[in-house]
Amino acid sequence: MKEDLLWVEKYRPKKISDVIGNEEAKAAFVEWLKSKRRSKKAVLLYGPPGVGKTTIVNAAANEFGFKVIEMNASDTRSEKAIQAVAGPATAFVALDTFSSESKGNILFMDEVDGIAGNEDRGGVSAIVKIVEESRVPVIMAANDPDLEKLRPLKKVSTLVRFQQVRIPLIIAMLRKISHREHIEAEFEALERIAQNSGGDVRSAINDLQSLAEASKTLTLQDTVTLSARNRDISMDETLRRYFSAKSLLEASILLSRSSVDYDDLLMAVGDNLPRRYSDPEELAEAYDFVSRADMFRGRIGTENWHLLKYFYNSMSEAAAVSPESYKPFSFISPPIRIITLFWTKSKRTMLDCICGKIGQRCHVSRASAKQDFVPYVKIMLTKKITEPVVSWLGLEPDEVEFLTKMNKF
Amino acid sequence: MVVLNKKAFRLPRVEKENFILLLRLGLEYSREQGTFCVASYNNIEKLTDTIAEILNVDDVTFAQTCILCGKDFPCTGCKYADSCTTKNLPFHCVCPQCLREGKTLE
Repeated sequence: MKEDLLWVEKYRPKKISDVIGNEEAKAAFVEWLKSKRRSKKAVLLYGPPGVGKTTIVNAAANEFGFKVIEMNASDTRSEKAIQAVAGPATAFVALDTFSSESKGNILFMDEVDGIAGNEDRGGVSAIVKIVEESRVPVIMAANDPDLEKLRPLKKVSTLVRFQQVRIPLIIAMLRKISHREHIEAEFEALERIAQNSGGDVRSAINDLQSLAEASKTLTLQDTVTLSARNRDISMDETLRRYFSAKSLLEASILLSRSSVDYDDLLMAVGDNLPRRYSDPEELAEAYDFVSRADMFRGRIGTENWHLLKYFYNSMSEAAAVSPESYKPFSFISPPIRIITLFWTKSKRTMLDCICGKIGQRCHVSRASAKQDFVPYVKIMLTKKITEPVVSWLGLEPDEVEFLTKMNKF
Repeated sequence: MVVLNKKAFRLPRVEKENFILLLRLGLEYSREQGTFCVASYNNIEKLTDTIAEILNVDDVTFAQTCILCGKDFPCTGCKYADSCTTKNLPFHCVCPQCLREGKTLE
């Protein structure tokens, strides 16, 4: 496994001064972070992707000795989950704040505008409560702060706006990386990459790496293959490009650009590998890499995002087991597990409802009811001891029918 | 287009309401020197619009500071000005001369 495969990781700023662009926003954020008496306990950093919002939080934490506790959009952020993670993190001041090295924790919630849907129900109000009661700085980041659902967060936060990074700044940044990587790059080529990036530094660095890493030279002609920046690569497109990648690097860069959920991607790749590799040995090798990626995904959890590069590496290695054997094939998408969950939703809802009724009557949890009671209720129903059981549990006719036929599903 | 120095610039005498509005939008006034400077950047668009109205011009912009050489320069000479979506903020960029000379970030 290559260390620092991606230049975006290799050249990730360690200090605030290394973050390019947005000088005023940086100054406002640092002033807020250093302030002893903050007028508002939270700060909301907002602006387009790839302009340095997350980077500056990590750089500032590194520079001022804070420990970052992070919650990302890929985590479920319901009221309960937020209270479970953020509650303890913000309710106490860590003992090590009294030492000179550490200033304690900061809670960082990235992509708060992504809080949505039933699984994140109550998330915004839980964050507001955390902010009001917090004893540590709370930092949030969002791409679009004008969403109606974020209004309560804006009321309790200091707003800091980040802008797209300008083309001359990106060119200067690309030039610096080219020098360090001993790449002879034409100015016009760097200019083209910077213009194509749409103010997104991360994308520009990825483009530079994909075009120049192997040859160590970069001409304007090399940039002809650059496509217009597409931030929202769908699952199908991600799979198509992933499986047809000609190298480890190409697959890795694609994954870092794609917006698909990591867990969905893992499932989708797992489903499609048998269609991609016909040779059993290659297939086994690819599955080994996917299982390793799955392990890293588990270890990343909610805060170890520095392990993401290993996830990308392992996933990319699964795609690049045998690039020459690629033949186009039709993908299984969405992942089989998600399709199965979709088709069985009504059945699961029905069973959950029955377990709720049993749990209420027998004073046990739904999980216990499902595991310890449902099999016996089913036996009683099939042995025609229905009347007293049905009336005592309050089961509806369709629920009785469901239970008696359950083993058929 | 009028290019102003964000650290100190003069405006014609304005009504009390306009003066208060300018301070609310993020300007600071130095009584000793009679100059304004930009202290807060959160309302920069409204601020430039208000100043343009006071100066009776179409467009107002602030001079940029080059992060490589430290000099102030106007955006007017920049070849990317037309496609630049962030004309007002940030106040830091790379000047055309440094870009031409191939200077890099430290």
